Amino acid sequence: MRKLKLHQLYGLILLLVLALWAALGLYAHLSLRHLAQRSEAEASRQALVEIGAAVAELERRLETITQQLAAWDETRQHLNNPEYYPLWRDVRVRHTGLLPEGMRVALYRPDGTILARDAQVLMPARLSLQDPRRVMLRWEQGKAWLYRVFPIPVHPDARVILGYGLIKLDPLAELRTLGPYRYADPASFGFRHHADTTLVLSALTNHLRLSARPDPSLQSILQEVHRLTQYAVILALALAVLFLVTLRQLVVRPMHRLSAEIGALRDDPQREAPDGEAIRFHLWELEQLRRTFLDYHHRLYSLHREVQRSSELFYRQARQDALTGVYNRRAFDEDRMAIERDKRVSECTLILFDCDHFKAINDTYGHPVGDLVIQALAQCLTSVLRADDRLYRLGGDEFASLMPGASIETALRVAERCQEQVRRHDFSRYGITEPVTLSIGLAHGAAPLDLTQLHRHADLAMYRAKQPGHSKIAVYEEALGRLAALVDNREISAVYEAIRRPELLQFRYQPVVRLPGLVPAYCEALCRIRCEDRLIGPGAIFAIVQNRRLDVEFDLAVIEAIRRDLAADLAELRQGVSINVSGPGLVSDQVIAALLHLKAQFPQRKLVVEITETALITQMDKATANIARLRAAGCLVALDDFGSGYSSLRYLASMPVDMVKFDMSLIHLLVKEDPRERLIVQDIAQIIATAGYELVAEGIETPALLEQVIAIGFSHAQGYHLDRIALKPPTLKPHSAA
Amino acid sequence: MHSKLWRGWVRLLLAMILWTTLGATAEPVTLTLDHGLVARAEYRKGAADKPAVLILHGFLQTHAYPLVHNLTDALASAGYSVLAPTLTLGVTHRKQSLPCEAIHTHTHEDNARELNEWLQWLSARGHSRIVLIGHSMGSAELLLYLRTHRPRAVVHFIALSLVEAQTDLDSDRLQKLRSHLQRKLARGDRGTEVHPLSFCRRLQGTPQTFLSYYAITPQRVQSAIKSLRIPATFIMGGGDDRLSAGWIERIRRTGQRVVIIPNASHFLDGEHEFDLIDVVLETLRQVG
Repeated sequence: MRKLKLHQLYGLILLLVLALWAALGLYAHLSLRHLAQRSEAEASRQALVEIGAAVAELERRLETITQQLAAWDETRQHLNNPEYYPLWRDVRVRHTGLLPEGMRVALYRPDGTILARDAQVLMPARLSLQDPRRVMLRWEQGKAWLYRVFPIPVHPDARVILGYGLIKLDPLAELRTLGPYRYADPASFGFRHHADTTLVLSALTNHLRLSARPDPSLQSILQEVHRLTQYAVILALALAVLFLVTLRQLVVRPMHRLSAEIGALRDDPQREAPDGEAIRFHLWELEQLRRTFLDYHHRLYSLHREVQRSSELFYRQARQDALTGVYNRRAFDEDRMAIERDKRVSECTLILFDCDHFKAINDTYGHPVGDLVIQALAQCLTSVLRADDRLYRLGGDEFASLMPGASIETALRVAERCQEQVRRHDFSRYGITEPVTLSIGLAHGAAPLDLTQLHRHADLAMYRAKQPGHSKIAVYEEALGRLAALVDNREISAVYEAIRRPELLQFRYQPVVRLPGLVPAYCEALCRIRCEDRLIGPGAIFAIVQNRRLDVEFDLAVIEAIRRDLAADLAELRQGVSINVSGPGLVSDQVIAALLHLKAQFPQRKLVVEITETALITQMDKATANIARLRAAGCLVALDDFGSGYSSLRYLASMPVDMVKFDMSLIHLLVKEDPRERLIVQDIAQIIATAGYELVAEGIETPALLEQVIAIGFSHAQGYHLDRIALKPPTLKPHSAA
Repeated sequence: MHSKLWRGWVRLLLAMILWTTLGATAEPVTLTLDHGLVARAEYRKGAADKPAVLILHGFLQTHAYPLVHNLTDALASAGYSVLAPTLTLGVTHRKQSLPCEAIHTHTHEDNARELNEWLQWLSARGHSRIVLIGHSMGSAELLLYLRTHRPRAVVHFIALSLVEAQTDLDSDRLQKLRSHLQRKLARGDRGTEVHPLSFCRRLQGTPQTFLSYYAITPQRVQSAIKSLRIPATFIMGGGDDRLSAGWIERIRRTGQRVVIIPNASHFLDGEHEFDLIDVVLETLRQVG
C-alpha cells in the first residue's frame, strides 16, 4: 500500500474539511432555498389575504365615503340646485376631504341622468346600475375603472331618493394606497381579464392578478446569511491558510527536518545525532518526540559503538592468534581470498616459516618454553617484515606472510632478514641450548593468482628447506614437483592407510655386509608404500610422517610389516634385519614393546634398531633406558646418519649404542680431493672404533669408496655398490674378491 | 357670586331631570317651504297659557347649536312651547352647520321668508303669543324680519349677543366690494366669490348672498331696534370680544332693555349660560 506523506495527509484532511464545509454550505443553501420556496408560497397566500383585506378596506372606505356624501347637506344642496354643482364637484368636494384624491364623483337625478357632464373626467351620462351593492368595472382606454353607485336620500333618515351619486376610482391605484403591503407587491397589481363587468366589490379579489414579493424578513435573513456565508468563506479560507501555515511551521517542517535527520542517520548510522539544543520545535509533542528520538538515538548510537567495538574486538580476536598476537589462520584465508579477488595485484609471494625440530623443543623443554619460542619467533619475524606485510600463524610453529606485489627477490631478502633475526635471537634465555632455526619456503605467482596453488608450492619449498643438506631457505621451482607428494592428498592418504593396514608396506631390504669380507650381516629395511600403480619412496613417506607427526604410528606399522616378512621367512631376512626407528619412536613404550616382542618372536634373527634423528630425541634418559632394554633383549642399536647434523658426538657419548652408521655425506668426503676432510673422517672413525663401536658406512657406491672404508676400519658397509654384490645368489661374496 | 353659581348648578340638575321626564314631548319637525326645500326644526310643546318661544341660531349654525339646544331645553322645561328651526340656507333637510367654504347661495331675505313660514307654522298650532329669541346674527336676522314683517303674534324679542354682519373690511373697501358685487350681479354673473363675512374670513358665496348680508350694517340694525314696536330685551356678554366698540352702548341708547352678563363671551356659554337662562326666564315671566 502506498504510504501517504504528511503534506498529502493534511491536504486530504483539509480537503475533507472543505468538502464538509461545502456540503454543509450546500445543505444550508438547499434548506434556505426550500425555506424561501415555502416562504414564497406563504407570501403568495398572505398576499391574497392582504389583497382581500385591502379590497374589504376599499369597500369599507367606499361605503364610508358614499355614506358621508349621501348624508352631506351640500350634496343635497346641489342636487336641488345644480347651478353650482360643477364647483361643488370639482372644488368643494375636494376641499372637504370627503373624496380622496384619485376618486371622482358625479351626481345623478333620480331618473339616472347625470346632473352635469364633466369635461375632465369621463363619467356615464346615465346610470345603468342603481344597485349600490354591486360595482361596475369598466375598461377605458386600456385602463380599468371602478364605479360605485350610491343613493342619496332626501334626508339621511328618509327612504325617498333625491338622486344618486357615482364614484369613479382607479381600483388598482386605490388598492396600492391601502398599503403598506408586506407580502403583496403593489407594482404587480393587475386584472386577469380586460372586460367590463359588474360584480360585488368583495369579489374583486378574484379578478385581480398579483404576485407576492419576497418576505422582507426572510430576504433580510437570506442577505444576512449570504453575507455571513461570504464572511464564513473568507474566514474558512483565512483559517485554511492559517492552518496550513501553522501546520507547516509547527508540524510539517519539523517533521521533515526530523524525517531528514532520521533519513541521514539511516544512511549514515555512525553519524552523530545533532545537538538537542541546536534545533527546537514549537510543538510540545513534536519536541518531546524529537527529544525522545534523539535520546533513543544517542543510546542506540552508544550501544552501536559498543557493539562495533565488541565486533571489532571479536573480529580481531577471531583473526588474531592468542599466543603471539599475529594474524591467525582465519585471517590468512580471508586475506588470501581477498588478494585473489583483487585484480590490481599482478604478482604475489608467499613465505612459509617453520621452526626446525619445534616438537622436540616442546617435548624437551615443555610447552611453556615452546610457547615462549613461538612468541619470540613471531616477534622476530614481525620486526623485520615490511611495514605492510602481515605475519600469520597457521598453526603450531608454522608462520606465513603474504606479500602481494612483491617479487621473489624482494621476498628472498625478507626471508633472509627473518632467518638472520631468528639466528640473532637469544633463545638461551628460555633454557634452550640447541640452536633454534627456521626453515623458509617461498613461492611466487603472477596473475591470475591461485594462492591455493601458491601455498602448495611454498609447502614444497618448505620441505625442500627441511631436508638435510639443503639451504634453510628454499624457493619453489618446477623441479620440486616431485615433492608434491607431501602435499598430495593421495600419498598422504596412502601413508595413513599404511599405518592402518601395515600389509600395504613394502620393503626393499638393502644388505649390510661385514667388512672386509663382504659377508652379509643383515638387511636394512627400506620402506615403500604401494599406491595404486606406483610406489611411494622413503623420502616422500618420511617427509609426510614427520610433517604429520606420525613417527610412532609409522614405526609400529613398519615393525608389524617386518614381523610379517620375518614370519614369511624371506631369504633376505635370514641373517637379520635392521629397522629404522624414529626419535619419538625410541622413547615410545609401544614401539619399544613391539621391538622387544619382535625380538622375542624371532630370537635367532639379528635385529638392529637404527636410531635416526637423535637430535630430535627429547627424552634422552628414557631413550637411553630403552636402548638398554633393547640391547638387553639381544637387539643391536645403531646410531644412524652420524655426521648429518641429526646425530652428533654428544649423542654418541650419551647413548649406549652398538653401532655407528656414518652418514653418506660423511663417507663421500673420503673420496674428496681435499685430504683434510678425509683425515677428519678417518680420525673420527678411528676414534669411534677405538671407543668400541662398530662402524657402518653408508652410501658405498664405488669399489674405491669400499676400499677406503675398509682401510679406515669400518666393520660394516652398505650401498648401491654392495647391493649388486649382495644380490648375487646364493650368498654374498667378499668385496675384496671383487 | 358663589350662591349664584350654586343656584345655577341646582337649576341645571332640575332641567336635566325634567328633560329626561319630558323629553318624550320633544318633536323634530319639518316644514316644506314654498321653494320646495324642507326645513327642519325642533319643537317642544309647552303649556298653553305661556307664550311660545322661537329660538333662531346664529350665522350658518343649526338648532342643534349648544346654546340654542340648552336654551330650548331650559325653556321647554319651564313649560314653554319652544320651536328651534334650522334655516335651510338653500339645503333641504339641512342638519349640519354650513361651512364657510361651502357654496353659499342663501340670502337674508330667504331666511326671513323661512322665519315667516315657521311663525305661521306656530300660529297654525295655536300659539297666539310668540317670543322671538335670536343669537348673534340670528338676532339681527329676527330684528330685520320684525322690521319688515311686523307679525302680530310676536309679543317680545330677546336678542342674545346681537351683532351686525361683520366684515374685516373698512367702510371704503366694503363699499367698493358691494359696488363690485352689484355690478357683477347687474351683468348677470352669478359666479361665486370669496369674501369675509361674519366669522368667516373666506366665505364662498354668490353676489346676492354677500350683498344681502353686507346690508345688515350696524346702522341698519340700530335703526331696526329703534323701530321695534314690541318690547325687547338685549342680553349681552360682558366679555364679548366680537362686538365693535361702543356697540352695547349704542343699543342701550335705543332705550331698549339691555342685560349685561358679566364676563360672558359672545356665546354666553359655560357658567354664564345659567345667568342667561335666568334672565330669559325672568323676561318670559314678565311677558306672562
